[in-house]
Amino acid sequence: MAAAPSSRPFEYLESLAGTVFYKLYQQPSTALAIFRRMLPDLAKCFVMALLYLKDPLPAADLEAWVKSESLKERDNALSILGRLHILSNTVTADNVRAYKVTDPFATSLRHALTGADQTQSFGVLSHVPAGSEVSIPDLDEYARRQWEGVLGYMVGTGGMGAPQVTLSKGVKELLQAGHLVEIRDRRVEITQDGFAFVLQDVSTQVWHILILYVESASAIKMDSVEVLSFVFLLSSLELGKSYEKNHLSSKQLRMLTDLADFGIVYQESPDAPRFYPTRLATTLTSDSSALSNPLLGSLSGPAGEASSKAGTGFIIIETNYRVYAYTSSPLQISLIALFTTLKYRFPNLITGKITRQSVRRAVEMGITADQIISYLSTHAHPQMRKHNVSRSTSNQAGIPPSVLPPTVVDQIRLWQLERDRVKATSGFLFKDFVSLAEYEAPCRYAEEIGVLAWKSDRKRMFFVTRHEQVAAFLRSRK
Amino acid sequence: MNTIDATEHYETSAHDRPPSLLTIILDTNPHAWALLSPTLPLSTAIANILVFINAHLASNYANEVAVVSSHTSQATWLYPVEKFPNNNNNNHLDPDGDIPMPTQQPQPPSNTTTTTNINKYRPFRIVEEQVSSHLHNLMTQTTPSTLQSTTSTMMAGALTLALSHINRRTLAWNEAHGGDIDTSNPNDPSSTTSTSSSNTKGTAESTLQSRILILSVSSSTGSAHQYIPIMNAIFACQRLHIPIDVCKVSGDAVFLQQASDATKGVYMALDEPKGLLQYLMMAFLPDQRSRRHLVLPTRVDVDFRAACFCHRRVVDVGFVCSICLSIFCEPLGDGVCLTCGSRLDVSDYGAKPAVVARKKKKKKVKGNGVSAAGTPTPTPTPGP
Repeated sequence: MAAAPSSRPFEYLESLAGTVFYKLYQQPSTALAIFRRMLPDLAKCFVMALLYLKDPLPAADLEAWVKSESLKERDNALSILGRLHILSNTVTADNVRAYKVTDPFATSLRHALTGADQTQSFGVLSHVPAGSEVSIPDLDEYARRQWEGVLGYMVGTGGMGAPQVTLSKGVKELLQAGHLVEIRDRRVEITQDGFAFVLQDVSTQVWHILILYVESASAIKMDSVEVLSFVFLLSSLELGKSYEKNHLSSKQLRMLTDLADFGIVYQESPDAPRFYPTRLATTLTSDSSALSNPLLGSLSGPAGEASSKAGTGFIIIETNYRVYAYTSSPLQISLIALFTTLKYRFPNLITGKITRQSVRRAVEMGITADQIISYLSTHAHPQMRKHNVSRSTSNQAGIPPSVLPPTVVDQIRLWQLERDRVKATSGFLFKDFVSLAEYEAPCRYAEEIGVLAWKSDRKRMFFVTRHEQVAAFLRSRK
Repeated sequence: MNTIDATEHYETSAHDRPPSLLTIILDTNPHAWALLSPTLPLSTAIANILVFINAHLASNYANEVAVVSSHTSQATWLYPVEKFPNNNNNNHLDPDGDIPMPTQQPQPPSNTTTTTNINKYRPFRIVEEQVSSHLHNLMTQTTPSTLQSTTSTMMAGALTLALSHINRRTLAWNEAHGGDIDTSNPNDPSSTTSTSSSNTKGTAESTLQSRILILSVSSSTGSAHQYIPIMNAIFACQRLHIPIDVCKVSGDAVFLQQASDATKGVYMALDEPKGLLQYLMMAFLPDQRSRRHLVLPTRVDVDFRAACFCHRRVVDVGFVCSICLSIFCEPLGDGVCLTCGSRLDVSDYGAKPAVVARKKKKKKVKGNGVSAAGTPTPTPTPGP
């Protein structure tokens, strides 16, 4: 499943109805964004290969195209394409099972590639008088301030140190609606979900917020399709350029105001005739490798000083579980304090230790080991990257280098497992197979498409997280 | 507890995919395109290639593209151009483009077209405008007189430009993304001595993935005089793990078959040039990571013929200097190798030298001065 792009936006999209997809895919920018962000590599190859074919491609041909040892990747790619309603099964003239790219998606993607559409789905550039343009560093600074303000509000550090950012009522309501914070006795308290949220990397956080926004939009009578398309439109704009507002609908204008509060777009004033996307918006469709950009650096590091250096991390972890973090940001310090026992604090450095107690405390608050590890590796100091890259290339070619000391990573997981003895997975049980052969085929199929959660050969039962394709597979064999 | 095993932590910290850099070498030889025009006019081919470029850019936010034109008289950049002086204006300032020159060309078109095709994703539009405007410049400069002198194409120059661009981008990328640079760089030069594969493979995962696509229309026999530089470029690619993909639209591409074979690239001869786009999308779009999972078209019967050093003829059977492995099409008159000056004894020539020569001539090659780097490698040509 490593090829599957990160999950939260994907899961949300997957839950939408087919008709919503039909409407979404009318926009070339949406088709492009989904193609780029949601699909694994192999799926992208399939889509592009099929895009300009007149006739559906027979399934056998497609299967022959993939090496036999990569069956799992192939089925995974096909399954994702099916779930996003991008690829559909048909039959060719002579009744052979075949695949084709579904229509609104194919047309829109072709339009995106050739520039033939008339729907202005890639925004309209605004001509700004020279001199009054907003520079990219200014935009980054604005995005950083707003975003840190939101996070600071959640963890309750907004008032200390960092200049207070005024958050609008809409932002606070959205955070509450998403159960990221709760208001108790007029005091803001962060929830378990909130802890999980603040430890994620920035792009995941932005997606999380946007999806909350889309969900809440339907509550206030906004069409979720329109909101989503606008989000995808934003993702295809260019950083540092300004865009006309006058062709946007009133709902989209309202969204602009809301998103400006998060730092996702920037406008001089709510009435200004143009807006600027910030880096938070333009990197929406990139995966996290593109995130080692100046914004992330400045978001994680001390304000100002780090923004000049690209991709700066500030945390060093030693194999003896000691943590050194070069930061003075109250936000970052309180995040690190969630799962470490802090020891000393200096003007630009804090030190601490990851211990069994501190990790258990974090786990009790609802933070998972994966979140801790991903937070640590996202913010690892360049020195650690360098060190570990050189070490791992020498002895284990082929395995992606691990930034963190493996012993620390494993121990954090083990500490979590001490508490999490039982894991619940919702899904579907298949049982009562008549013969072993009848049991084996669907079981293997489920494993290949990556939905198998558990199986017992002896009892001839298996458990899957999704049943549609397995059921279709069973039907096709009858 | 047994859900923890030794490999699990690698997955979470694995860097997700680095972007890929696609360098397209477009053979713009007007002689060859004139012959092709009934089936595939140049304009149609360019339109197809632009869609293909867009598809590549669409695949990943950080993907990059570069386009080099291999013309009859020169190899020149079509995109990106800001960094390179415009040869058109006769200002031959810095041919390797280290000094960014302000160019007049890209600006006016982008301003005028902003209003017309506003609805294109901006990165797509920038590439298209630059490629078409520079290609237009190139064609308007090409006069009948310049065409008379030669019918071949500057493939060696184009390959060299492409390689230097890839090298520059790789360094810049590593620098911007920290960490890898100190380890990956020593690896590349050092692979001259150690046999590369394992250590460069580790870092190849985390650096910019580059590949070269050659759209060939000219017949390479015409460019036999570039044999040595072309082969040197091929060996450089081989060492840097840069696949050279060859899309042969027409002509016969003797050396290019060896190029894709040696670098494990895709080789495809188009039966139906009209379907260029579909060929490109299906065979040439997948990057190195996807290729691991796909069955790709390669050529089984690679033409390994070489060009001789004395007359630049492509030879089936030739004579090889036993010291420096230079190839000659006929026995040397005075028995002195033209490349290394060794005195060779060819006195009993005439018996049956072809037996020995046949075997060696297979992949004989060598660089006439670069020999230290060139000689060890000619042997690799493992099957696909």
